[in-house]
Order: sequence, then structure tokens, then C-alpha cells
Amino acid sequence: MADAPETSATGKVRGLVRSPLDLGGGLFLLAIAIVGYIGAFNLPFGHMNSIGSGLLPKSVAVLVGVFGIGIALQGFLFDGDKLESWGIRGAVFVLGAVLVFALTIRTLGLAFAGPLCVIVSAMADRDTRPVELAIFSVVMTALCIGLFKFLLRLPIPIFPPGYGPF
Amino acid sequence: MYDLVSNLSLGLSVALSIKNLGLCFLGCLIGTLIGVLPGVGPIATITMLLPITFGLDPIGALIMLAGIYYGAQYGGSTTAILVNIPGEATAVVTTLDGHQMAKQGRAGVALGIAAIGSFIAGCVATVIIAALAAPLTKMALLFGPADYFSLMVLGLMFAVVLARGSVVKAIGVILVGILLSTVGTDLESGEERLTFGWSEISDGLDVAVVAMGMFGFAEILRNLETSQARDVVHAAIGNLLPNRKDFGQAAAPIARGTVLGSILGLLPGNGAVLGPFASYTLEKKLAKDGSRFGKGAIEGVAGPESANNAGAQTAFIPLLTLGIPPNAVMALMVGAMTIHGIVPGPQIMTKQPQLFWGMIASMWLGNLMLLIINLPLIGLWVRLLKVPYRLMFPSIVLLCCIGIYSINNSPTEVVMTAGFGVFGYALLKFGLEPAPLLLGFVLGKLMEEKLRQALVISRGSFKTFVDCQLWSGTCARPLSSGLLVLSLILVVIAVLPSIRRSRDQVFVDD
Repeated sequence: MADAPETSATGKVRGLVRSPLDLGGGLFLLAIAIVGYIGAFNLPFGHMNSIGSGLLPKSVAVLVGVFGIGIALQGFLFDGDKLESWGIRGAVFVLGAVLVFALTIRTLGLAFAGPLCVIVSAMADRDTRPVELAIFSVVMTALCIGLFKFLLRLPIPIFPPGYGPF
Repeated sequence: MYDLVSNLSLGLSVALSIKNLGLCFLGCLIGTLIGVLPGVGPIATITMLLPITFGLDPIGALIMLAGIYYGAQYGGSTTAILVNIPGEATAVVTTLDGHQMAKQGRAGVALGIAAIGSFIAGCVATVIIAALAAPLTKMALLFGPADYFSLMVLGLMFAVVLARGSVVKAIGVILVGILLSTVGTDLESGEERLTFGWSEISDGLDVAVVAMGMFGFAEILRNLETSQARDVVHAAIGNLLPNRKDFGQAAAPIARGTVLGSILGLLPGNGAVLGPFASYTLEKKLAKDGSRFGKGAIEGVAGPESANNAGAQTAFIPLLTLGIPPNAVMALMVGAMTIHGIVPGPQIMTKQPQLFWGMIASMWLGNLMLLIINLPLIGLWVRLLKVPYRLMFPSIVLLCCIGIYSINNSPTEVVMTAGFGVFGYALLKFGLEPAPLLLGFVLGKLMEEKLRQALVISRGSFKTFVDCQLWSGTCARPLSSGLLVLSLILVVIAVLPSIRRSRDQVFVDD
């Protein structure tokens, strides 16, 4: 989670790659450009007086690639920052919770999807307290059901289809 | 002048109905409630709360959304002052002196002056909108497709100049946004573009999905890494109403901040974000003793907060008159308006004057309500902020999920939002600012449409955008040409080293 320990006091690095952050960012853009170009590969350019569906995506993808390469080259030419380390634990549990919610909202309803979502995402933090979390997840879900289902009347399923009072 | 008064009174008659007044109040209250949560900015708040307006008629829905927007803005300031976590870029400035004031036991005064400054700025901005709306709408009717296209290019260039960090990176990120906007079925040929055979995205990506992923979830991930740095003020909140000396110190900064914010908010391409920074820099320069700034100077809260609110409001002008959203929040407003069957643009004012003026009048009412509801409720917000983050962020995740699911009752969109969360987090980790992407994403579709129209009209000649002959001094499209030249000048200015340095200073001068 914290910066890598070998980061110097100024956060600068020396060597062939003078700014890993720029190199990484540039390559990231280049990857997006390649995916975009492949996605638009079969679309026609059209003519100038009736431009085809492929003109804009393809030319923009090429431009993204050009800027990506430019930014990556900057990484070799100018001093810059190191790549930041990723908070993998946070990403896995928070986004995992979102996926759990998406998978269970239709089949189990908010009454079950809610606590599941809260509990899974809470695991992203290391100092969770099980009892507190269990109670909190139920209370929070109840509040949401009250707010969204009864006060605002959104058509969100509360219980598994065919079960439950509403 | 007579028009202005009669239009505003028409608006007030709409906005003052019991139902709309209630909706405005509810919007401000819920908007503040969600906006107060640390790390939840206006974009995430509006996306989360968008579904609650679905059952309403268009006027009521827009009034409520506007209320949510102001509430979210003000909630962000509250968090900035009390917890030192800015909900969004513009609240960064407020943390500098606001949080220091809070540490000195003057949180109440900081919150009070922020509310009062915002209210004054909001009043002025409402009058500016009302006064400029009619002439700008008339001008907008003169715009052809080529002019619209060039105006949007200018808007994106502004976004580049105003983005923090490298110009090259900002342009790259905007282009990615435009690329994302082409995903889905092409409106003219019916061909699927960039969908990779995935039928769920054949209608294109929803702006709410992109926005919530990149600003809601990515922000939670970033906050999780720094959750230790949170310090809710433990000192007493103190008096809420500033005393006479405070008012004396804050009056001029509020006035200057209002003017600065109003003007910058008018600019296409997120000019509003510059307001608080510009105001802070100006106040620091004008102050007799600049060293007080950063140590709890009331001017450092009053000026930027007024500029922030004024800009937040005048940013509606490009949207309502030209139909072009100048920033990400306004882009969401476009999405919300479309859901209610309203197409933003010059025709709203002529065809739906009740809606147009009703919304403008409700802006003023919303500001008044913020003042009224927030001063007594500050104690409640403080208690809310004392909830530990380990419980707060799972609640935010749940609220985000319910909000996104409810927009189209679609679990797939919830999954896609998670995907954009990863994408936004990756952008942050690679030092690429995600805000310009959303603007590119929203303007991309409009730009392609206008580009195609312009080229059909000109029979495929790109000269239509700059149809000028220097030697004879004639210009067939002076608007479009002028806007493009202005865009070019902006880019050149942005890369000039001396300007770059002072621009960086505006942002880094924290």
C-alpha cells in the first residue's frame, strides 16, 4: 500500500527509464489505442462528403496511440516519478463486492445482496470487527430498503422472486 | 430589463409551488447528506441519486437534481473543512485554510462564512444566468454545425489548459474519452462499433456508468490507501455565525470570488474548476500579511467558496443555451435531462419557458435553502463524519450499487461500473487525470454528429471550418474560424514554458 521503500527522498529515479510513471502511462494509452483500433478494424472510412462509421474511431485510436508513444518516450527523456504501487486488496474486495451485488440482486434481492455487498467490501480494510460489521450491514440494508423501496418506490427486488411479503 | 423581471417572476411562480419547493428542499438535504461523505464528490452523488428523480415530472426532477448538485457541492466543503478530505478538485483550496480554522476551534465560523459566501455568490450568479440566457440563446440559433464543432474543440482545449499536470497527458486522456464515446451502434449506418460482439453495449456506454466507476469507485480505492490520514476535527465547532470582524475581513473576498467564479464558470471546458484556485491566489496576493494563509485565514475560505459556488452555477449557461456541457457534472445533467425527455439547447428556453425559468429560479431558492438547512444541521454532519471509515466506505459502495442498478434495473451495468472503477484507478496510478476523459466522452458523440452534418453541408470540404481568405479579408464562417484560432492560441499558450510555470503554480501553490 505504501510507496516502495527504495524511493529516494525526492521521489526521482535515474537509469535508462527516467520516468517509469510516464512510460507506464504512455504504454497504457497505447494499449487502449490498439484495442480501440481492433474494435473498429472492419468499419469503413467512407468519403469526405459522407464519412463512414470507421473514420472517427480509427483516427482517434491512432491519435491516442501517437500520444501514448509520445508520453512513453518522455519517460526515457525526462526525469519523473516512479510508478505507484497498487492497492490490490482494496481493489479486489471493493470491486468483488460490486460483482457480488450484481450477481445476487436479481436472484436473492436487496435483503441479502445488501449485507453481502457491505461485508465483502468491508474486508478491503484490515481492521474490520466481525460482530460490529454484521450488525452494521443489516442495519444499513434495512435503511436502504426503507429509503429506496418504501420512500422512493424504486422497483428494486427485496426478496428472492416468489418469496417474501413484497 | 422588463423581460428579466417577468421571466424571473414566471420562474418563481413555478419554483414556489409547494411540490417544487419540497423537491428543492429534499434535493438539497439528500445531496448534502451524501456529499458530506468523505471522497464522494458531486459527480458520484448525482449518479447515485439520479434514480430517485425518475418518478417525477421533468420540471420537478430538474429542480430536485439542481438541489442535489448544490447540496453535494456544499457537503463537499463541509467535509473539506471538518475532515481535510476534499470531495473533488475544487474543494482542495477550502481544505487549506478551512481545516486550519477548524483545528483552531473556528469550524463553525468557517462553515458559516462558506455558506454565506456561497449564498451571496449564488444570488449574483442566478441573476447573471437570467440576464445572459436570452441573448446567448439568440446567438446560439445562429450557430451552424461547423460552429458547434469548433466551439467544442475550444471547450476541450480549455479542459486541456485547465487540467493539472502535463498537457500531452491531458490531450491523450481526452482522446480516450472521445474513443469511448464511439462505442455502440453508429446512428447513421447502424453498424456496431467497438462492441466486440457484446450486445449489452450496443446502445453505447451510459455516462452515469462511466462517471460512477471513474469517480465513485476509483475514489474509494484511492481513499482506502490513505485512510490513516483522516482526522475529523475534535475541537469544538464553536460559534456558527461569524462576528463583525469576520464579516469585515470576508466581505471583499466574497465579492471578488463571486466575480471571478462567475466569469470562469462561463468558459467551456470546465472553467469553474479554476475559480477557487484563482480566488485563493488573488486573496493571498492582495492580503497585507500573506503568511496568514494556510494557517486559518478566513479570506482563504470565503473567497474560494464563493468562487466555487458562482462557477458551479454559471456553468449551467453553456448547457442551457448551447446544449454543450462544460464539465463532467453538467454532462451528467445532460444524461438526466435526456432520461426525462428534455434535449438541452437553445430550444428549451423558447419551447419550455416554464421549465427553463423555473429551474433558474430554483437555483436561487436552492442556495437559500442550503443556508437555512445547513446552519442548524452542522451538528448532524459532524456526527456523521465521526462514523469510522471502515464502516463508511462499505455503505458508500452499497449506495453506489443501488444507484447504478436502479438507473436501468440492470445488473450488467453494475458490473460495467466496476470495470470502469478499475479503469479509473489505473489512470490515477499512471498519473493520468480522469476528469478530462469524461468531458471528451460526452462531447465526443456531439462532435461526431456535428462534424458529419458540417461535412454533408459543405459536400466534404474541410474548408468549411476555416473558410477565410486572408488576402481579400472575407470570411464565410467567421465564428468557426475564430473559435478554432482561439483553440490554437490556447494550446500554444499551454505549452509555452513561462505560462506553464505560472499555471503549475496556481495548482501547486498549496
